[in-house]
Amino acid sequence: MSSKGKLRQRNPQPEASTSNYEYDQVQEDEHHADIYTSPKSRSGIEKFFEGSQGSIIVVSALTALAFALRFYKISHPDQVVFDEVHFGKFAAYYITHQYYFDVHPPLAKMLFGLAGWFVGFDGSFLFENIGDSYITNNVPYVGMRALPAVLGSLTVPVVYAIMKESGFSTVIAAFSASLILFDNAHVAQSRLILLDAALIFFMSLTIYSYVKFRKYRYMEFTLEWWTWLLMTGFWMACTWASKVNGILTVFCVGVAVLFDLWDILDVRKEGHTMDYFYSHFLARAGGLILWPFIVYLSFFWIHFRVLTQSGPGDTFMSPAFQETLAGNELLMSSHDIYYYDILTFRHKDTKVFLHSHPDRYPLQYEDGRVSSQGQQVTGYGHNDTNNHWRIIPTKSLPETGRGRIVRNNDVVQLLHMPTNTLLLTHDVASPLMPTNQEFTTWARDDYTRHNDTLFKIQLAWDAPENEPFKSKSGYFKLIHVPTKVAMWTHPKTLPDWAFKQQEINGNKNPSERSAIWYVEDIIADQYNDEPADRDEDQRPVKVPKSMNFFKKYIELQLLMFQHNAGLTASHPYASGPLNWPFMISGISFWTDNDTQKQIYLVGNIIGWWTCVVGLSVFVGIIAADLLARRRAMDPIPDSVRNRLWNNTGFFLIVWGVHYAPFFLMNRQLFVHHYLPSHLASALIAGSVLNFILSDTINYPISYATSKTRLRPSQYADTGFKGLATVLGYGLVLFMMFIYIAPLTYGTPGLTGEQVNSKRLLSTWTLHFAAKKTHDS
Amino acid sequence: MNRPPAVAIDFGTPDSPNSSSFEFEEVGYPDPYHQHQHQYDPESYGGRANEETLPLHYMSEEKARRRVRAGAAAGNGSDFDGGAAVSGNEKEQFEYQEYDDAGKDVYNKPKPYNGQRISSGRGPSHPLPPPTTITEFLLQNTEVIVPVVYTLLSCWTRFHRIGASNTVVWDEAHFGKFGSHYLKREFYFDVHPPLGKMLVGLAGLLSGYDGSFEFKSGEVYPDTVPYVAMRVMLATFGVLMVPLAWFTSVELGMSQWACHLTTLMVLLDVGWLCISRFILLDSMLLFFTFLTVFCLTRFHNEQFEPFSIDWWVWLFFTGISIGCVTSVKMIGLFVTALVGVYTVEDLWDKFGDTRLTVRQQFNHWAARVVCLIVVPVLVFMASFKIHFLILNHSGPGDSQMSSLFQANLEGNDFYKNPLDVAFGSRVTLKNMGWGGGLLHSHVQSYPVGSNQQQVTCYHYKDNNNEWNILPAWNDKQHDPEGPLRYLKDGDIIRLSHVPTGRNLHSHTVTAPVSKLNYEVSGYGNLTVGDNHDYWQVEIVDDTKRGSVGQVHSLTTRMRFKHVALGCYLRAANAVLPQWGFKQIEVSCDKENNRKDAHTYWNVESHWNDRLPAGDMKLYKSPFLRDFWHLNVAMMTSNNALIPDPDKEDILASKPFDWPFLHLGLRMCGWGDNQIKYYLMGTPVVWWGSTISLGVALLTFAVYILRWQRKYNDMDAREWDHFLYVGKIAFFGWAFHYVPFLIMGRVTYLHHYLPTLYFAVLMFGHVLDHFIFSSRRFSTRTKAIVFGVLVSILVATFWWFSGVAFGIDGPVNEHWGLKWRETWNIYN
Repeated sequence: MSSKGKLRQRNPQPEASTSNYEYDQVQEDEHHADIYTSPKSRSGIEKFFEGSQGSIIVVSALTALAFALRFYKISHPDQVVFDEVHFGKFAAYYITHQYYFDVHPPLAKMLFGLAGWFVGFDGSFLFENIGDSYITNNVPYVGMRALPAVLGSLTVPVVYAIMKESGFSTVIAAFSASLILFDNAHVAQSRLILLDAALIFFMSLTIYSYVKFRKYRYMEFTLEWWTWLLMTGFWMACTWASKVNGILTVFCVGVAVLFDLWDILDVRKEGHTMDYFYSHFLARAGGLILWPFIVYLSFFWIHFRVLTQSGPGDTFMSPAFQETLAGNELLMSSHDIYYYDILTFRHKDTKVFLHSHPDRYPLQYEDGRVSSQGQQVTGYGHNDTNNHWRIIPTKSLPETGRGRIVRNNDVVQLLHMPTNTLLLTHDVASPLMPTNQEFTTWARDDYTRHNDTLFKIQLAWDAPENEPFKSKSGYFKLIHVPTKVAMWTHPKTLPDWAFKQQEINGNKNPSERSAIWYVEDIIADQYNDEPADRDEDQRPVKVPKSMNFFKKYIELQLLMFQHNAGLTASHPYASGPLNWPFMISGISFWTDNDTQKQIYLVGNIIGWWTCVVGLSVFVGIIAADLLARRRAMDPIPDSVRNRLWNNTGFFLIVWGVHYAPFFLMNRQLFVHHYLPSHLASALIAGSVLNFILSDTINYPISYATSKTRLRPSQYADTGFKGLATVLGYGLVLFMMFIYIAPLTYGTPGLTGEQVNSKRLLSTWTLHFAAKKTHDS
Repeated sequence: MNRPPAVAIDFGTPDSPNSSSFEFEEVGYPDPYHQHQHQYDPESYGGRANEETLPLHYMSEEKARRRVRAGAAAGNGSDFDGGAAVSGNEKEQFEYQEYDDAGKDVYNKPKPYNGQRISSGRGPSHPLPPPTTITEFLLQNTEVIVPVVYTLLSCWTRFHRIGASNTVVWDEAHFGKFGSHYLKREFYFDVHPPLGKMLVGLAGLLSGYDGSFEFKSGEVYPDTVPYVAMRVMLATFGVLMVPLAWFTSVELGMSQWACHLTTLMVLLDVGWLCISRFILLDSMLLFFTFLTVFCLTRFHNEQFEPFSIDWWVWLFFTGISIGCVTSVKMIGLFVTALVGVYTVEDLWDKFGDTRLTVRQQFNHWAARVVCLIVVPVLVFMASFKIHFLILNHSGPGDSQMSSLFQANLEGNDFYKNPLDVAFGSRVTLKNMGWGGGLLHSHVQSYPVGSNQQQVTCYHYKDNNNEWNILPAWNDKQHDPEGPLRYLKDGDIIRLSHVPTGRNLHSHTVTAPVSKLNYEVSGYGNLTVGDNHDYWQVEIVDDTKRGSVGQVHSLTTRMRFKHVALGCYLRAANAVLPQWGFKQIEVSCDKENNRKDAHTYWNVESHWNDRLPAGDMKLYKSPFLRDFWHLNVAMMTSNNALIPDPDKEDILASKPFDWPFLHLGLRMCGWGDNQIKYYLMGTPVVWWGSTISLGVALLTFAVYILRWQRKYNDMDAREWDHFLYVGKIAFFGWAFHYVPFLIMGRVTYLHHYLPTLYFAVLMFGHVLDHFIFSSRRFSTRTKAIVFGVLVSILVATFWWFSGVAFGIDGPVNEHWGLKWRETWNIYN
């Protein structure tokens, strides 16, 4: 502290000079001999850029360019692209208030709904297939696409601001921002009705708010401090509420806060009391756990408030939940089923009836396999008496009363009424699928195959043991007792011998989700009468019941987790996390065969590889610093090291936390899952560029108070070479962007040779590539 | 009783002027002990006992067992009770020639030490006076007697009723069979490395078994199989776990109490006991795991004197032990990871030690690389070399290996195949990628994509692997009587599957697993087909003749290019789902990657009546190639062992079921007349050890938080020791547990058995830390706690010993075994 008098103070505070505060958050052993430059000694251009006016000009230019690049030809293509199938549809449901189910939290989708409502979308178009035309269906899709484009464009100035707030010079901040600005993957992702633009925007705001919050750390519990703490929490909640991956942002703020608290706990630094620590701890618990959770929940609350009508998501939910949805007809008219009732069964996914008719399976199929030649059991789409089955008990029943109700896990037989035969399955391959079992029927009075006619009614969603089996709402699987197969059907139709009806077979995977059936109707009771109004307690209720919000939320959240983990099917454009930073593989979003146009999600390869280089250099610097310090050497000035470890280190945590968990996931993974990490790596690349260009930084940057010990300040001086480097690099980046742009914007169409020339890496699987006539 | 000996530490410092007897310095004790000490032995401390307490090497009483020799400088009889335990152990390292008893008071004044060491730096101690009573003898030799007693007890538990069940129990069906293959010298294939199974074979050889038994599960052993002798030999490995546990605890510097407890837990766990009593690999795996940990701790205690003989010996043995444990089961890689992390941390510490010269640093690195990487790899490869040397006859595992390797096995007549392949030949095609199989097809069709007949790669030989080489549809049709037309580079052929008549076909449908490739299927029949059935032969080279234009069986490496699509037939260890019977996917790769061995094929079996037998002289298949090939095949099969959702495997369990012993495992049939074995642990050992892990983590967290607040609970040395033992136990446990959570393959209860060891060490450590080494409790309290714990242990062991010794009669008559609802021990 002896050199205090000599220090150049950036924000001279009169009280500061009299402060005799011993400790400081900054390390004790400061290099007093550091170079600290005068802001006035810099070149004119640099002084201009470092000033607020210059900064505003730069950020405005970047933002304007970002809007231009993201809105350019946003109306093209006028067709449904890639996952717009899902998210466009969900937006439509918000407008029609129909309940739907999705693995992602609702915020971003609600925003799309809002955007759609704002531009006059009536929600009638359901975005069924990739390639459906918006024009013919009269969908105001440009308005909906404008939302992610705005958010994606605003991400660029936020990135700029993060770097600026972190104490880097304007050129460095512009460098990081341009890595996002000129990135084809970010642009492609922001121009379509997809969740990622919102996710990335909120995530960058979270980082920005946290950096701001840290800068106020010496002014603890002031208004600014609280504001930025709560802002961090708020944006964090928005990130999480936009897409399920957003939870990683929550984790990475959590990690940073742990480091922070650990530091505050350290008695050697400040000598704080435990009370001081507890107040900090509680403030963070409130601001970064409780408050974000309230925000997150409130989005769900709105979600449930908006979606009040019965819709496609009903069937995912429990019966109690379904009762809260208006017009949920399944539940409104469901009845208990008694033994000897005559029923019609319907498959939940394909809506066909369980059907049988006297025709038999042919002895031999086309592929040479043989059948049992039993009576055909098929799935039929229309009402017919051949769909009538009587449910026969395998246990003794009381004469009357509720003892005759069919319950969960009861073993039953199903009697086909018109032919008086019992449903049966056995170890014979089904007509279309050799791996699945054939379903047929067997004469009722022939007891030789009795065991093969036994089926267990297994109600869905782990219903309790004695749950009554109900029509409409009683979703169940029919499990064959001896062979454990589940009755299943799939949209493939049988040949002419079965009148092109749908095949029904036994699926050996009892956990198959599509093996769910329900009872469409109770045709008659055991006396062949219309069933009387037998369940007084089930009087149809017209008014939807209410249900506790938290119960609803927990049910939905659990389902979301389960389904998210269940997304394991493979996809042609799925790729492993190791490929992502190197931009090894992209995703084909949309193609148009006539004009040879395509949208292929792929990053600006120069930008991405710069980020990878930046990351590796940073890790190299950190490792070298560790090793050197281990050998008692000290090559990096303390102020620079502080920046590298504390600020860029935080970016590295952001990068790692948004990236590493994907290695442990078994679900489908796509390169766009890397975009949040890519943004973090752009920040790191900026910091590394600064380190390479100059060993000066703006320091200190945190807001000082009377208690803060003053430190020698210095100013970033990247010099003219910094400006030249960034300008030159930006130009190269932009040219690469333009070169790949036809794949990003999906226009203009490309000839085969052009496609080949755009295929910078052989692993990019572009469409319409010219065939090599013979290889070299 | 438990009074500590005078403890001294070797710093290798020169004699200080006032050092009367030897250059070791005494360790100062905290006051109670200090006072205590003086009452006994004032002279030996001279006037300098209080002069300095060593700053670094302060230890609490029995921790002094680490790194230091027992001073026992005052060797008069009264001082033996506590200290002798240590000095007994040191006896073997005693430098006898240094000792001169000519007329001196040798017991008080050993000769000055001359600076030469013969062993670990536990400097010379002098011999003890001959024991006069039995008690004295016992006390003098505790360090030997205790492990001997434990070993004898262990022999009893491991060998008691070992032959009670005369049937093939559980996985004896596998490992016994593999042992038989060694005796019959027939090549077989298995997912585990060969060392353990070779030892099974050796046990069979030594006990006079001829390898003729099939080892069918549950079958009664015939008289020709000396199964009891074999089980005894393998159980010996299990016996040795107990003394190893004892010595490891000693090396970890635990107190006597904790050492006894740890050893007793290893002795009395019914899980370890049960698994050691059969013809299985687990006893060897456990033994080598224990041995590795022991070697590591032993090596750690040599660290203060690098590059001494003992240091080298134990470093080297650690490497050998790693090699052995990984050669028994790949699970050994987990304990290797523990050694690796220990070494990295150690080297990091050394790196920060600026007193070491660059040369010393380099030597440290080189020593680790040689002993911990090179040596284990050599041991691992040596086990495969021996494996290949023994198994030189054709056997059931042939088809996992390359065609050349098979051709060199006795009893295989590939080399008699006709040499030149011609149109009309019936062949099997072998993929030449690492772990590749035979091109295969079967009547089942793809449930996805084109729904045409499946084409796969398969490792077992049946006639579904046979293909006819036929000319293209538009070519002159093959005439069985016409002139022979040999297969040449560039020929366009059609491959017709012999049993089903379908043609090898590819089209623009995406393949089921490798989505970027085209599907390969069987299509059409002998008369129906299209131009998507055409494949062009591209010869890569001939391993024997170099580059030739004609296809020879076995030696020619070739690729098949799909004429219409330009893609290449490829099989790259991608496993099909259950509908493809977990066989390897065959697809057509759009990328033309010339270097990709997975697109290389060779003709393996070749039948053509019109051609003469080849009778080729073959090159030996190089060892490294076979070694690598077999390892890739093992990995692929291991990864294919994923749980099958179609079948509920009642034996399998999830890792979360293990630490609290959620369920056990029936090892054999459960009939009333059978002898029944139930694989489960002694509940108190499993539960206690798991709880101790949580307690240790919590303790660590509390200490580190207090440390951040500047509370010093322990001095640096105690803290280091607390951390060291804790790290060995915790990371050992985590490395053996966490991978099971991540890996997709099916897991069983016995996978936790190596893991359990580290939990048990942690249990000992936690008890040691809180009770037995605590200064808060009196010896009496410690003795009571110890007694209670031991009786609980023994009682539970006795209560559950039946599950390992074998339950006779109806199991429901054995009351009180079902402590958790989920144990399916009763019918």
